[in-house]
Amino acid sequence: MTMGTETVSPLLQIAQVSHSFGGLHVLRGVDFGVPAGSLTGLIGPNGAGKSTLFNIISGFLAPQRGTVRFDGRDITRDTVQTRSRAGLVRTFQTPKVFGKLSVRENLMIGCYRHLASGVVGNMLRSSRSRGEMELMHARATEAGERFGLSEVMERPAGQVPAGMQRLVELARGYVTRPRLLMLDEPSSGLNTTEIGQLRELLQRLNREGITILLVSHDMQLVDVASRVHVLCFGSIIASGAMVQIKQDERVRQAYLGV
Amino acid sequence: MPPLRRALVWGIPLLVWAALPFVATRHIVDLLVFAGLYTIAGLGVAFLLGQCGIVSLAQSVFYGIGAYCTAWFCAHKGLPSPVGAAAGIALSTAIAALVGWPILRLSGHFLALATLALGIIGQVLFLEWDWLTGGTLGIGGIPRIAPFGFAFDTPLRFYFLVWPIALLLLVLHHNLLHSRNGLALRAMRDSPEAAAVLGLDIHRLKVQMFVLSAALGSAAGSLFAHYVTFVSVDSFAVDRAISFLLLAVLGGVYTVWGPVLGALFITVLPQWLSRLGDIHAFVFAAALIAAVILLPEGFGGAIRNWWRARAPK
Repeated sequence: MTMGTETVSPLLQIAQVSHSFGGLHVLRGVDFGVPAGSLTGLIGPNGAGKSTLFNIISGFLAPQRGTVRFDGRDITRDTVQTRSRAGLVRTFQTPKVFGKLSVRENLMIGCYRHLASGVVGNMLRSSRSRGEMELMHARATEAGERFGLSEVMERPAGQVPAGMQRLVELARGYVTRPRLLMLDEPSSGLNTTEIGQLRELLQRLNREGITILLVSHDMQLVDVASRVHVLCFGSIIASGAMVQIKQDERVRQAYLGV
Repeated sequence: MPPLRRALVWGIPLLVWAALPFVATRHIVDLLVFAGLYTIAGLGVAFLLGQCGIVSLAQSVFYGIGAYCTAWFCAHKGLPSPVGAAAGIALSTAIAALVGWPILRLSGHFLALATLALGIIGQVLFLEWDWLTGGTLGIGGIPRIAPFGFAFDTPLRFYFLVWPIALLLLVLHHNLLHSRNGLALRAMRDSPEAAAVLGLDIHRLKVQMFVLSAALGSAAGSLFAHYVTFVSVDSFAVDRAISFLLLAVLGGVYTVWGPVLGALFITVLPQWLSRLGDIHAFVFAAALIAAVILLPEGFGGAIRNWWRARAPK
């Protein structure tokens, strides 16, 4: 079941993270780590605080207490952009594709942070600017083939089916060459066959060295994770391999319902 | 596109453009010069609105700064035209960067109101600082642009100066739109959150575009000053900023060349309709409303959509 080359050093470390909205305590001193090279799962029932935690890790929300460390560095107060440039890239529960841009352009823009041409150079079509566009084009083509998007590359991303938009978002994240790819419910809206394909895709990406943090309700998909953390009412109630998790009494009561 | 067809698509408009001032009346050529000036200033506003979602009502300020710098440096100090234009662009871009950095943290109506405030402040300062701007009396005696002794001193001559400059700027913006940063602008317009996740510095890009837009406004103002040879505060009131925004919306903010059509609409059409007598203002207003309702993406967007629809799949 274990995929990837798991090591002991945590790429992402969440320590004592707490957050509340008004009087509602959504996260209560959450601790967990994502080892470099791992495929880690985060599961929990609705309202467990998964989305809040995801937003805190990716920088869309500042925690009221606790720290987020990425590659040993405290990034708790860093902006979303700074985290992205460090290699922490996420997807959204409802896919956020650039709807008016073609699928190809969506993938091309994934290269943005690795390139450096300026506005003036772009206006004058400097050799650097042209070279970057060729590079972005080539990387988009490669990612399109890899994620099975070749047929729809020139279509506006907002007009491709919802399941495919999810793939576009995932492929765009892949093009950024992330160190940690955080996926928020990537299987929602997919059928069983598509979920199977997504599993294989995630395993392949992980084998290539991309650390993945997966938030999902979907047991069929979360099974792919080498280690799973269970979040319930704002606290981690169990951590371990999926086989162990499934047998944990608290998890069975709180989440699996068996 | 086959070469012959490509030659026709580009060649026919070029021929019409080149022949037009020789067959049109001097008055119409004068209006076409203004359409060229407004295209340059309006391009900045359209690019901001279409690519960044920023409603700018401050373009009249930068237009005014360009005009007054040209008037001051060229008429008062006797310096050559490029000095006045460069000074205007330098001052405009500096102000755009200084003011844009804080206000571009705002969005939507709040940002539009902030740019309107800038427009109003500019209008008041142009009037009050009469030691610099001449106030309502303005500054006259601005020399013509005359490189190597050839003076652009008639509408016909200026037509062949302003439109190539406008075309060059349209091409530069077209290049920008189809580059790394152009893609980034379009991406952040569609989904700011997803753009942030990809590491795009949205605020910095917006400030850069605001600065670029100010440079266009200033350049148009400098050309305007050289063309009319007299500038006064009336030309740089907020209603001018509204005209620039109007031409951007009418022309279509999602196409680079939309402002050309918008500028022609707001300069040539009212004059052409004036032959209808007193009713012409109502007819123009009706045409304006009809254009906005029927063509939500402006003339440029409508033409582009028509072109795409008829192209073979």
